Amino acid sequence: MSSKSLSLRNISKRFGTVNALDNFNLEVGVGELVALLGPSGCGKTTALRVVAGLEQQDNGLVMVSGKDISDMPAHQRNMGMVFQAYSLFPNLTVEENVAFGLHMRKVNKHLRLKKARELLELVGLDSHNKRFTHQLSGGQQQRVALARALAFEPEILLLDEPLSALDAQVRVNLREEIRRLQLSLGTTTLFVTHDQEEAMAVSDRVGVMNHGVLEQIDSPDTLYNKPSSTFVASFVGTMNRIPTQISNGMVEIFGIKVVALKRGQESGNVYALVRPESIEVSRVAGAGHAKIITRSFMGASSLIICQTPDGSVIQALMPSHYSGDLHPGEEVNLHITLNEVLVSNV
Amino acid sequence: MAKAIRMKLLPPLALTLLLLGLFVFVPMLSAFEYSIRTPATGGYGWTHYHWAISEEDFFHYIFRSTWLSGVTVLITLLILVPTLVWIHLSDSKIRGIIDGLSLLPLVIPVVAFAVGAQISFPEFVQNTVLELPFLYFVLALPYAYRSLDIGLNSIPLKTLSEAARSAGANWLRTIISVIIPVIRGSVMATIALTFALSLGEYTLTVLLHWDTFPTWVTYVAQDNILGAIAISMMSLIIPFIILTAVTLVIPERNMQGRK
Repeated sequence: MSSKSLSLRNISKRFGTVNALDNFNLEVGVGELVALLGPSGCGKTTALRVVAGLEQQDNGLVMVSGKDISDMPAHQRNMGMVFQAYSLFPNLTVEENVAFGLHMRKVNKHLRLKKARELLELVGLDSHNKRFTHQLSGGQQQRVALARALAFEPEILLLDEPLSALDAQVRVNLREEIRRLQLSLGTTTLFVTHDQEEAMAVSDRVGVMNHGVLEQIDSPDTLYNKPSSTFVASFVGTMNRIPTQISNGMVEIFGIKVVALKRGQESGNVYALVRPESIEVSRVAGAGHAKIITRSFMGASSLIICQTPDGSVIQALMPSHYSGDLHPGEEVNLHITLNEVLVSNV
Repeated sequence: MAKAIRMKLLPPLALTLLLLGLFVFVPMLSAFEYSIRTPATGGYGWTHYHWAISEEDFFHYIFRSTWLSGVTVLITLLILVPTLVWIHLSDSKIRGIIDGLSLLPLVIPVVAFAVGAQISFPEFVQNTVLELPFLYFVLALPYAYRSLDIGLNSIPLKTLSEAARSAGANWLRTIISVIIPVIRGSVMATIALTFALSLGEYTLTVLLHWDTFPTWVTYVAQDNILGAIAISMMSLIIPFIILTAVTLVIPERNMQGRK
């Protein structure tokens, strides 16, 4: 594979009055898999389509390994793309679909079919090569689409919510397969998804987008544990918003004072942003009085939803073997396990 | 359950097909029966068919009408397929306007086209019979447009064309290698409708003082009505041969059940 790096510089794109991309910047290294994550309408698909050449940016540059391809037509960009809708050609067999890109590059029939079979073997569909696409399941069709996108050895692989139309189990299997293939082939990949679990599971780095802007791009671990903004903190994973007061850079949560991070104001009412796994529920005495509303068993861990006297609903995630004897309706105390928390004034 | 519904639908379906068959075939068979009558002997024979084949003009005009119809089909596909693909992909409000415009040939009198052609076509076009395919194209537009429109509406055009382009196909290859094969049924219907309409077009051709197969048949009918019917019967074979050839050129793939 002749993988290259990808660089988007100051990309802007408007659709009428909507600012889909606003001075958007992104760097993807050689062989790296970067996911763009964000709510609907945040501009992640537009960014991918600009890279593919299917959408023309109003301003900014698209560079592949330093070469400006901003005005290059889509068919000359040498980028493999997998779409949400399988987008296979119904008039072609599975192997003809996979060989399509090579056909367009005038590779002779023998070589392109040989390459197509190699790719089908990689995605575990070598025995289906003579079938038509309607004879395959959704997962199989998306594997063919992936093989088609990889067959002509693209410089960049673009994945536009490729798992969204699939069943839960197939999604998990296929996302692992995508990652395995991406790592083994070393293809630079940009992956757009609205599913944070998917993005976290397969990516080297995840970029969180909001209103056409990249809010934060980091490793999944950093993104989850050290979100740079309240939007990222709220969007990635579950986050409790606990009303409290900030004073001298400290906030009090369940009777314990902790350091406030990213504080926008020095005093007054704020929300402390705390992950469910950073809250413990117990019968041990404390100031965080609450009442258990529900307890959901999730295997190794249990989700306990409590209500505090001021009406706030708090979620706590605890190992199941510690929380087995806690029951709905029970009066308990909440404890925070952090020394510092992110706060927000909105 | 499904079988019971099918059995229930069978009698009305059979009756409809029977009526349709009668409507199409009875006049044709009657014309054929009439064309093989031999008034001199009171029996049947192939006299008029032998006469038609021996007429030098028969092959001349049938060949001329066939190639003019072929050119019309080419013009229709070359203009309409890219235009309709663009209209469907552009999500433009212009689609409603073009939909309406495509129906105009049904309400504008043919004589207006003829006069319009005399006024607007450059002289070098008017001096050649090649002016006819452009006008036949306009006459076939309402049918050809709708046939292709239905085909393009029935497929995920945007995704398929984007998939083709991202895989390295330019627009021309995308249309030829992906879109046309996927809407093969609509393309075939467009070819059939345009070809048949062009092959049988009479009024416009006469108004512009050109001679084609239909005008020649009318001329023959003035002296030999049975010969003219025999010629018409034989001309039915032409579209059949052409459409069979087109079917072989654009082979059908196993796409049943496609989503």
